[in-house]
Amino acid sequence: MRVVIGEDQLLMREGLALVLARAGCETVAVAGDGEELVRKADAHQPDVVIADIRMPPTHTDEGLRAALELRARRPGLPVLVLSQYVQRRYAVELLESGEQGVGYLLKQRIGDIDRFVGDLRRVVAGGSVLDREVVAAMLHRPRRGDPLARLTDRQREVLELMAEGRSNAAIAEQLVISEKSVARHAAHIYDELAIERSPDDHRRVLAVVRYLSA
Amino acid sequence: MTLDPAPDPLRLARSGEARAGSRATSSRRRSLTLAVGEVAVTALLGGLGVLAVLYSGVAHPPPWQAALFVVGGWAYVAAGTVAWVRRPSCRIGLLMTAGGFAWLAVALANSSVPALATVGMVVGTLPVAIVIHLLLAFPSGRLGGPAAHAAALAGYFACLVLQAPVYLFTPPSPVLIQDSPSVADAGLLAQRIVGAMAVIATSVIVGRSLRAATPAQRRLLAPLSVYGIVAVLAFPAGPAVADLLFNGGGLTLFIVQMTVMTGVPIAFAVAALRGGFARTGEIEELGAWLGADDASRPQLTDLLAAALGDRSVELLFRVPGEQGWVNGAGVFAVPPAASAGRSVTEVELAGETIGAIVYDATLLPRSQEVRDFVRVVALALDRERLTVELRASRARLVEAGDAERRRIARDLHDGIQSRLVLLSVQAGVAAGVGAGVGEPTADAVTELRLGIATAIDELRALVHGVMPAELTERGLAAAVEALADRMPIEVTLDLGGLGVRLPPTVESTGYFVISEALVNAVKHARASELAVTLSLHDGERLRIEVRDDGIGGAGSGHGTRSMSDRVEALGGKLRIDSATGAGTRVYVELPCGS
Repeated sequence: MRVVIGEDQLLMREGLALVLARAGCETVAVAGDGEELVRKADAHQPDVVIADIRMPPTHTDEGLRAALELRARRPGLPVLVLSQYVQRRYAVELLESGEQGVGYLLKQRIGDIDRFVGDLRRVVAGGSVLDREVVAAMLHRPRRGDPLARLTDRQREVLELMAEGRSNAAIAEQLVISEKSVARHAAHIYDELAIERSPDDHRRVLAVVRYLSA
Repeated sequence: MTLDPAPDPLRLARSGEARAGSRATSSRRRSLTLAVGEVAVTALLGGLGVLAVLYSGVAHPPPWQAALFVVGGWAYVAAGTVAWVRRPSCRIGLLMTAGGFAWLAVALANSSVPALATVGMVVGTLPVAIVIHLLLAFPSGRLGGPAAHAAALAGYFACLVLQAPVYLFTPPSPVLIQDSPSVADAGLLAQRIVGAMAVIATSVIVGRSLRAATPAQRRLLAPLSVYGIVAVLAFPAGPAVADLLFNGGGLTLFIVQMTVMTGVPIAFAVAALRGGFARTGEIEELGAWLGADDASRPQLTDLLAAALGDRSVELLFRVPGEQGWVNGAGVFAVPPAASAGRSVTEVELAGETIGAIVYDATLLPRSQEVRDFVRVVALALDRERLTVELRASRARLVEAGDAERRRIARDLHDGIQSRLVLLSVQAGVAAGVGAGVGEPTADAVTELRLGIATAIDELRALVHGVMPAELTERGLAAAVEALADRMPIEVTLDLGGLGVRLPPTVESTGYFVISEALVNAVKHARASELAVTLSLHDGERLRIEVRDDGIGGAGSGHGTRSMSDRVEALGGKLRIDSATGAGTRVYVELPCGS
């Protein structure tokens, strides 16, 4: 797997490269700012781009904008965006650029190497991955006559994992229930919250996130 | 109470000169200068006239001796007019000028013209009474209390009334009634006794005021008082002078005495000018000060000190919302008790007490004079007060900044640092340090990783509290959205399509105010609904409104104060409507200035 990294902090770069090397990935280029990231990703045509959101020169959201620009040029290019903080706004913007092959994780998740590499592979495979923190923030937002209150605890767990981008199989494995019951819970959630049904596991994330973020 | 250090007299004098040079003198001041100039010219011409009379008449004793009186008179008039012009409200200058004319008249005693000689003899010892008067009236120019009045009166009585037997009964005299040495001697004795009493009383009064004076005043007054009293004692009584003049004896003694007496007005003028006369501070000058631009405007306190001739003058201000007083540095101060030799005059503007002037009661015995100045400076004082208020709010902002840094330091120390210490211990255990066992277990390492993840979470929360990333990355609207997400109560947002980025200080201030208002509503107002409205007007003014449906009655607490400080620091406005039971609305308008 060929990776281009956009990260201005040297230590983070080294850490990422180490994790990627252990996972058998090849870091083909490293960029220190958004513009350089776009240029190098164009030049190297990697399998995935990993970008820190905050980069020079303004230290605001260069990395995210570079990722969105790259996906506009090459639709479906897998992009994993890392950040010190997670915001639902960014999650929605990323998913709206085409929900296939996007990931949005806290930087600190690279410490859990296996899980991080697993998430990275899902992104490369065209899945969507959202950090559990951003999903939790969306789920726990106060809202009037909270419709989520009508869900059972189990259904809320399923909804959370759906928003994180997990497939039914993955959810079943994590919750130690059958895939069938996951599908049943999902159907109930769709009905209860009036979320548009999506045939594909990968495509339902945006619908769920849109619902949660509205 | 904090006293402002006394301004450096040199600097004051220099700045006074610079001010005078840079500003047109007011018309009233010009007319005063003109009038005093006329007085001085009169004295000059009068003196020349006296000299002409002396030199045209009899040549015994030599006219130059009497001419020394003319020189002495000129010295008095010169010193007197300088003090008068620079300090019109003080009578010391006037008194010295009058003394100068008395000296000119004394010189006439030598004239061959009988009428003029009579005048000279009648006022022969008047200069002594004037020196006594000067000693008693310094530095305000007014006699304070019955004792001082009595002493001055005794001096004039001795020098004018008890002088009469000398010229009425001692030849040669144009108004001689009878050559009667016994009557003249009796008169002379009475004059000496009364004169001595007056001098003793003066010494006691001056000594007492010296004891009551501040060390700074004492340094100024003590040498002057001693010199004045010595001069009075050195000046022989009238007959002795007459004797000296008409018999020509003791020439050296005479010259010494004349020099000592001539030095008196100069000493008084120098002391008066050092004692706060630095440059005149008339009412007109204060008025001109109001029009001066900020850079050239001296401190109001300095100006008042110069105007009132009291360098210890202090200004205190009322600050809205505060109970007490603050001084020019924005520090709380207590007006001194009147008994401490300090007087306090309050300054009112539009019926409201806005400040107070604290001054030396011994220098300015009459508060009316201070009140006259106060009327003129009320507006200026109000402006100064606003400046002080500004300084106070700045100080609060700095304090708030410091408090925040202390909080961050404490959080770092208590939170992250302690956790890292714990992690290092766990790492040691995992590595088998001390236990002598080999390989770390997978569980221990996982535990270590989770501990590190928790430390990162804590650090993230801390950094977020200092400056939320969404605010710097995406601006106010995004940050308010994220803030609302974290509130335990639903917040209705109307962000007015605020997609543009505003200046960082506007964003952070707006964020701070909204966050403070929301937290207050949740914590104290028992609100169930919150709403935040943001709107940008003409691209220049950001309007923020935070509403809740809570219990209302939000007072002017610490949080409210820090909100208004921050808003006002950007030139914005903050209003809080919080009637009890009617919820709270916080309105903020911030200029965006870009």
